[in-house]
Amino acid sequence: MSNTQYSGVKVKRFSKGFVIAHAVNALSFFALYITALPMYTEWFDWLYPVLGGPEGARLLHRIFAIAFITPTFIWLIMDPKGFLRWGKELITWKKRDLQFFTEFVKELFGFKFKHVKQTFFNAGEKINSIIQILTAILIIGSGFPMWFPDLFPKAVVQWAYVAHNVGFGLAIAVVVGHIYLSVIHKNSRPGYTGVITGEVPAEWAKDHYTEWYEEEVKKGNFPDLDKNKNKKKGA
Amino acid sequence: MAEYIKYVDVTKCDGCRACMVACKNWNDLPAEPEEFQGSVQSHAKVTANTWNVLSFIEHEDSKGNLDYLFRHSSCFHCSEAACVKVCPEEAMHYTDFGTVDVNSDKCVGCGYCVQNCPFDVVQLATYKDKNGKEYKKAQKCTMCVDRLEEGMQPACVTTCHTDAMEFGTKEEMLKKAEKRLSEIKDKYPNAMIYNPEGVGGTHTVYVLAEKPSVYGLPEKPKVPTSAVVWKDYAQPIGKMMLGATSMALVGAFVSNKLFNKEGKGHEEDGGGSHE
Repeated sequence: MSNTQYSGVKVKRFSKGFVIAHAVNALSFFALYITALPMYTEWFDWLYPVLGGPEGARLLHRIFAIAFITPTFIWLIMDPKGFLRWGKELITWKKRDLQFFTEFVKELFGFKFKHVKQTFFNAGEKINSIIQILTAILIIGSGFPMWFPDLFPKAVVQWAYVAHNVGFGLAIAVVVGHIYLSVIHKNSRPGYTGVITGEVPAEWAKDHYTEWYEEEVKKGNFPDLDKNKNKKKGA
Repeated sequence: MAEYIKYVDVTKCDGCRACMVACKNWNDLPAEPEEFQGSVQSHAKVTANTWNVLSFIEHEDSKGNLDYLFRHSSCFHCSEAACVKVCPEEAMHYTDFGTVDVNSDKCVGCGYCVQNCPFDVVQLATYKDKNGKEYKKAQKCTMCVDRLEEGMQPACVTTCHTDAMEFGTKEEMLKKAEKRLSEIKDKYPNAMIYNPEGVGGTHTVYVLAEKPSVYGLPEKPKVPTSAVVWKDYAQPIGKMMLGATSMALVGAFVSNKLFNKEGKGHEEDGGGSHE
């Protein structure tokens, strides 16, 4: 529950393709996490009976592994434009992206900060995306030799265990941060409802992704908030 | 407790295969008929239900003479066992005798040990529960640990009629191996003691008549580097990182409660701070 008041004007931020891809990605990631947890640490061995024994856990892990591969294609097919913009933004880095991080640390710990003008994805989201892409490649790429060890040379299978472990370790550390920011951290919380409904409060979008918002205003897609009212308090 | 090893002198072996029979018999392992191997050898290699295979090698020595080499093959019981290192369930473990055993109650059949054994010894056996559902467990030679606990020797050793196999304290057996090596050096110039360092030494130590590769053994077996990177670095660092991120976020949460009570994120001038 956000303490911040918004005027109620909503704008469309995420396409249906993105919303579905994101949901499939998130749910399969967690299902994979849960089904592998008893293998990762014996603290969670009690999960085996819940998951139908080691065999049940293994089967579920493989079913969700397939699901985990699909989001890229869901987004690409349903919203190729959005997908391409994502790709383009990930390789575009400017000075303001670095400034973002100094302000972000202040915001994270609840100190006063100012917004650094960002495009559709802010620098933090870009870092998150890049790490998730790399770790997904590591995890998926190593998953195949682990699943079908007979089809690969032994050394490949042996190093696949390492890659799977490193990929997962990095991914979960980043995911914990990603979820904290969306679900718990108050300033970015509208992003959480946004990634489910596709819509976010206009003022929030303008504050957090100013450049993108202004572009959309120019295109006539979004209301020009500065014209309507002077300034929103604490928006 | 003193460390015990099985000492195998392949030059005394006459290829009778009684050790194979004794192993199947004591450990209640089902018969596994295999295709003709092209020689007297019955099975290509050890499997989950055949823990002990006598290999027959037709070898041409440097003088062009044919030599028929026998080797009792089973688990090496490494001192630094890769299977123990990679097992995620602590099912693979060291016994009081220094040998390596599988705890079937803990084993989940993941096969990590199968993929990491430098000698290709560990395999998965498939079983069916009472509902007909299949499950797998890692299986291999146990060095008859159940016999050792009762003060007996491994079944293969007990049955060996040429004394090609002996079981005793590490010190005593290694001494025997050295002595035997000096005896056979004239006949077998390539003879050597196979007790590889890369796995911390083994608890099945051989006196081989020829180089290890002649017997299909790795010359310098070791715990795979990948297993070391994975278990000694990647996994502990991964767990630490997850802990560190979580702690940072708990810090962020608390700090937000302390410094940002009004729930306002940024400066009062709001929109004005964008540029």
